[in-house]
Amino acid sequence: MAKGRELVGRIKTTENTRKITRTMEMVATSKLKRSSDRVSAARPYAKALGDVISSLFNAELAERFPLLRQPAAERRVAVLLITANRGLCGGFNANLIKEARMTVAYLEEQGATVDLHVVGRKGIGYFRYVGREILTARTDIGDIPTAANAASLVDGLMADFISGAIDAVYVVHSKFNSVLSTPPHTERVLPVAAPKRSGAGRDYLLYPSADTILTELLPSYVRNAVYRALVETAAAEQAARRTAMKSATDNAGEMLNILRRTYNRARQANITQEIAEIVGGAAALQG
Amino acid sequence: MLKVSVVSPEATLFEGDATSVVAPAFDGEVGILPSHAPMITVLGQGTLRVEGATPARFAVAGGFVQVVDNNVRVVTEKASVIK
Repeated sequence: MAKGRELVGRIKTTENTRKITRTMEMVATSKLKRSSDRVSAARPYAKALGDVISSLFNAELAERFPLLRQPAAERRVAVLLITANRGLCGGFNANLIKEARMTVAYLEEQGATVDLHVVGRKGIGYFRYVGREILTARTDIGDIPTAANAASLVDGLMADFISGAIDAVYVVHSKFNSVLSTPPHTERVLPVAAPKRSGAGRDYLLYPSADTILTELLPSYVRNAVYRALVETAAAEQAARRTAMKSATDNAGEMLNILRRTYNRARQANITQEIAEIVGGAAALQG
Repeated sequence: MLKVSVVSPEATLFEGDATSVVAPAFDGEVGILPSHAPMITVLGQGTLRVEGATPARFAVAGGFVQVVDNNVRVVTEKASVIK
């Protein structure tokens, strides 16, 4: 019965593993619900901001705003990579890191010096491991990113852009298209690409002036782009974790079926053998 | 009647009808009544008051108010409901 005992042990460990992965799946499901609500709650603000900026925007104004400055060449750029603090979410972090590496490689090929800023323990761990310098390493942004988090991330970069120290800012994050589609994505947040004007512009009374309003709103627009990247990545992380934990739970179930079947077969063979031995023994005694 | 919405980056704090809105603009309070001309103004810091069937008060800082066709959109980076 040595094989049987061993199988009992394996069945127990697999059952325990399945309990853990199932719990993690359920936790991720409930967190995902709240995270994706936050993604949709962020939409009206982004839309309102985009509407107003596009209705005030015109090419002549563009020349006067430092945030809209289009540098002739990108000599020094910042790449902001957003990853998760935790693992066990399938290829989520690996995909983001790969996207970031591709973006950095591409920019360096174009002759730019790349400053790397990383959010999330996983991304930091990777770039430390390969020995790349990380200018900002943040692990304090959790499952519920706030607008203040986004501001603290991007305000320094905005100041550097205005002073001309850097020529562009790219954000590598996960897009949250749906629960099943969360592709990594690189977005250029600076210089600001003015949103397309939708419909005819209205004649607004502007207080104090279009210039002042744009000066106020452009930084908000950039901060909001980063905020959206943060909430979408947070939601995508939960979606990825749920998918990964669901397939882990399913796999554990399949493995359990096979183990139980093997165990029962071994047990049955054992009993059959014992009976055969008893019958054989009795027959020998009767002689 | 005015259709009013108050949005911050994190959430939509208010959505509904109102008879008037008083917003803290950059240079003092601005009152908005129905049939107001289209307007965009920068907000300062202060209390935003929405009067009507469901009155509400918010503490806001920064952002803007957009008024067009009796729709009032208050878009602010920092907003919290005052009870």
